[in-house]
Amino acid sequence: MTISPPVDTAAPSPEGHEAAHANYSLTGFIIFLCSESVIFLAFFSGYAVLKLSALQWLPPGVEGLEWRTPLLYTVVLVSSSGTVALAEHFLSRGQLWGFRAFWLLSMAMGAVFLYGQAIEWRSLEFGITSGSFGSCFYLLTGFHGLHVLSGILLMALMLQRSFRPANYAAGEQGVIATSLFWHFVDVIWVLLFLLLYAWS
Amino acid sequence: MTTTPQRFPLPRLIGLAVWLVLLTLLSVWMGAQVPRWLPVSASSAAPLVDGLFGFETAVATFVFVGVVSVMVWVVLFNRAEKYDMSDAEPIEGNTTLEIVWTVIPLVLVMAIAAYTIQVNREIGLIGPMDHAHGPATAKSAPATPLPGGEVQVIARQWSWEFRYPVAGVSSTELHLPLDRRLGLQLESDDVIHGFYVPAFRLKQQVIPGRSITLFLTATRPGRYRLRDSEYSGTWFAANQADVVVESEEAYQDWLRRASRLPLQPGLSDAAREYAQQLSGERRSGYATIEPAQPPLVNVPGSNTLPHDG
Amino acid sequence: MTSTAGVESRILRAPHPVPGAPDNWKRFFSFNTDAKVIGIQYIATALFFLLVGGLLAMIMRGELITPEADLVDRTVYNGLYTMHGTIMLFLFIFPVLNGLNNLLIPCMIGAPDMAFPKLNAAAFWLVPVFGVILMASFLVPGGPASSGWWSYPPVSLQNPLGHLINGEALWILAVALSGISSIMGAVNFVTTILRMRAPGMTLTRMPIFCWTAFSAQTIQLIGLPALTGGAVMLLFDLVVGTSFYRPEGGGDPVLYQHFFWFYSHPAVYVIILPVFGVFSELFPVYARKPLFGYPFVAGASLVIVGLSLIVWVHHMFPSGVPQWMRDAFMVTTMLIAVPTGIKVFAWLATLWGGKLRLNTAMLFALGGLFNFVFAGVTGIMLATVPVDIHVNNTYFVVGHFHYVIYGAATMGVYAAIYHWFPKFTGHMYYEGLGKLHFLLTFIGTNLNFFPMHPLGLMGMPRRVSSYDPEFAFWNVIASLGAFLLGVSIIPFLLNLVSSWVRGAKAPANPWNAIGLEWLLPSPPPAENFEEHVPTVISGPYGYGTGRPLVEHQEEIERALLQA
Repeated sequence: MTISPPVDTAAPSPEGHEAAHANYSLTGFIIFLCSESVIFLAFFSGYAVLKLSALQWLPPGVEGLEWRTPLLYTVVLVSSSGTVALAEHFLSRGQLWGFRAFWLLSMAMGAVFLYGQAIEWRSLEFGITSGSFGSCFYLLTGFHGLHVLSGILLMALMLQRSFRPANYAAGEQGVIATSLFWHFVDVIWVLLFLLLYAWS
Repeated sequence: MTTTPQRFPLPRLIGLAVWLVLLTLLSVWMGAQVPRWLPVSASSAAPLVDGLFGFETAVATFVFVGVVSVMVWVVLFNRAEKYDMSDAEPIEGNTTLEIVWTVIPLVLVMAIAAYTIQVNREIGLIGPMDHAHGPATAKSAPATPLPGGEVQVIARQWSWEFRYPVAGVSSTELHLPLDRRLGLQLESDDVIHGFYVPAFRLKQQVIPGRSITLFLTATRPGRYRLRDSEYSGTWFAANQADVVVESEEAYQDWLRRASRLPLQPGLSDAAREYAQQLSGERRSGYATIEPAQPPLVNVPGSNTLPHDG
Repeated sequence: MTSTAGVESRILRAPHPVPGAPDNWKRFFSFNTDAKVIGIQYIATALFFLLVGGLLAMIMRGELITPEADLVDRTVYNGLYTMHGTIMLFLFIFPVLNGLNNLLIPCMIGAPDMAFPKLNAAAFWLVPVFGVILMASFLVPGGPASSGWWSYPPVSLQNPLGHLINGEALWILAVALSGISSIMGAVNFVTTILRMRAPGMTLTRMPIFCWTAFSAQTIQLIGLPALTGGAVMLLFDLVVGTSFYRPEGGGDPVLYQHFFWFYSHPAVYVIILPVFGVFSELFPVYARKPLFGYPFVAGASLVIVGLSLIVWVHHMFPSGVPQWMRDAFMVTTMLIAVPTGIKVFAWLATLWGGKLRLNTAMLFALGGLFNFVFAGVTGIMLATVPVDIHVNNTYFVVGHFHYVIYGAATMGVYAAIYHWFPKFTGHMYYEGLGKLHFLLTFIGTNLNFFPMHPLGLMGMPRRVSSYDPEFAFWNVIASLGAFLLGVSIIPFLLNLVSSWVRGAKAPANPWNAIGLEWLLPSPPPAENFEEHVPTVISGPYGYGTGRPLVEHQEEIERALLQA
């Protein structure tokens, strides 16, 4: 929900003077991303405080989180940053089909990650109301998952736009912004993985 | 602001000096007025707090009246004449002056901070601000107090209960011995409350899930008011109790007599008003949490007796 | 969004008065993307909610005129004070300042509009949306949120009726929407200031108002997400039953206090910084002197931003934080006095030896400065731990922040409204009514808020619906002051409405002020300078120096007036 407004403005506006403002979108988007990162910072610090002060952190009967399968999906998500970069590389050389292929591949990798997340949620024996640990786990992974989903939707929008003639006449702000967002989501996940799975 | 005396003739310099002297006298006088604005001081921490506040009041008076007198001066004497549309002499800045009014306030606030930290240490030594951190071991209040906790204070929506586990007394009126440091073990059954006795100048949030020990030394016999200082719901304002400070002998005597008294419902204005609302004697408004049952105590006390602050 | 057809749509689309068109006002009720229209929309909405919040305050003061809880039930009182605080902050002061930002920033830096006009309009239209949500909470079965604008858990999580839609949930929703709206605004303002300045308008030639707005909006970008994060967890605890703050599930209620104050203390600087900007703009104009020490005043704003992010624990001295934290946060809090002092002294030096013109705007600025200095010295007292322990959560604090938020910030906003009223409406205001407004406001403010200091020192807790009889004397005076403040709004509104309808036509520069906005006609055309964007060649406060502000100043003014 919080990410939708800047998306609207990233769209080059067809009317009047607003078109001239398109090159500010990237500035605006970067400012927005910096701001968005503070929400995650807040969640991370809340998690750390609760965990450090807890007498009994894990809910009764829970041994700890299984980390091997999530690590696999982590690798998938992180490598999708590479495929996004490749897609951008093709775009900068004007090879639209190369761009679309790698862009689509990145979307697919994001979707695989979300699928893995869903599988993991279903297999866990604790819920969001199982003490602070359950609350934090589902909030953090869920909020990040929402970002992955938004990223995929943004990419779909950019993919659809790439078929529009003369879309890149005024630069490729939308693609740059989307890829920045995607890298952001990946970095957040790495931190999240370290906090949730590695730190025990 | 007025420290550019080079261009000032002698009468102006004298005027400035007189103004500074008057300002200083006024500030010192204001600092001395502080005890009149505060409740009686009844704990070992209170004189330290009052002394700090008096010092700050003097400094604050100097700064505030100093700034305001400059404003009054310019409003009275630097007004444009009617129909004078010209500009004033363009002075755009003065780095020396900027340094002066950066460094002087910096030194001033750091001096206040140093003085405050020292007062903090002194109050800390006599002990009223210590506290156990972290969650209490069990939800229900433990039967034996933590070391140093002679009185167990339990805050509820909306009543106070004071337990003296050694003497086997419970009360809704807090009795404290004169001139003896003791620890209060603060616990809450529901939401965050605030333990606040203005005459002691002490305040501590009472946090559910934690047990916080507050040390204090009462230094003046009398009856004082304890107020809930952290908003705790509907009857927050009525969540008051009395604190009675008395000599060690009177205190021990009170404990002995109280332990023989039968248990009865303690003081809770909230429970009384809620009952009135249920019976229709009193108007009610939006939905409210039901007040907790008044605790069963040996001494219900009273909160209508005259108190000393 | 402008769906009306034909002629009306032409007028609606015309971002500025079409000569002879009778229904120009309709653009103020549409999804208009012109920053000047949005600015007025913000200010009008904010003033409406000032009336609502003020009415609630007067009922509260009516209750507090006697010691007993007799005028309204305690639950109603608790709802009133919660809504009063929430409305005044999120629906009055933030929107009114965003209104000023919208009016002033593009004109002052020579931009045609904001960087993202549609985002700007969307941010504004969220304000009435969450305003309605908040108002609607008076009508839900359990009544509105009633745990204060801090909404500390666990008391805020108590939901007596157990309904899913309750006052507290609506409150969190409204605050979250307000946060989203503010973030949208902040992204817009920061981008506009960074990217859209006129040629020659370097950062060191930018008016102080833009500096302070930039600083304030930076705080929004850093602080608001933390509050949003904290509020999301609160909502989950309330609705889903998670245990972020619930002690029985291992949660920590004090954690919320950290999130809340990490934003809500800097929020005070979000409010006061633009008002510092207003003072810095007005004093040079009405003292006919350059702002004293421009680079220091500008830089002090950035220092305040930095410090504002590391002081929040001073709201939590009695919350059970360790001693080292108390000491550290006391020192950082005290340091804020230094950049603030630089500004106050700079204003005094600007006034010193000037040629003062005491019209309404200047009176409000001077009155605001007076109140601000008073709030400043009580602020230092509050920063020192032992004194704070005594007066924390008492009326001393209430008095202190009302001096800041009403005495300084709101009076500064009044000053700004009067000062720029001719520019953006094209009409002069009536000085007589303005001065009456000032007199009533200044007396009312001090009568209302000064007595709160002795009350707090005596130990009267804030948020009480009843109190011990020894507090009655000062409370009666405070209540009288509150009613006087209520009266003071009448000449203000009368002045605004009648001046806009019938006031004398305003020239382009009625105060003989320096600044890009004063080169424009009153009211400025839709795209401000259009094709006549000037090149700035000197700093913003060249009073008495004879320096021109822009290249070819006369030709540009002539061209703009003819256009």
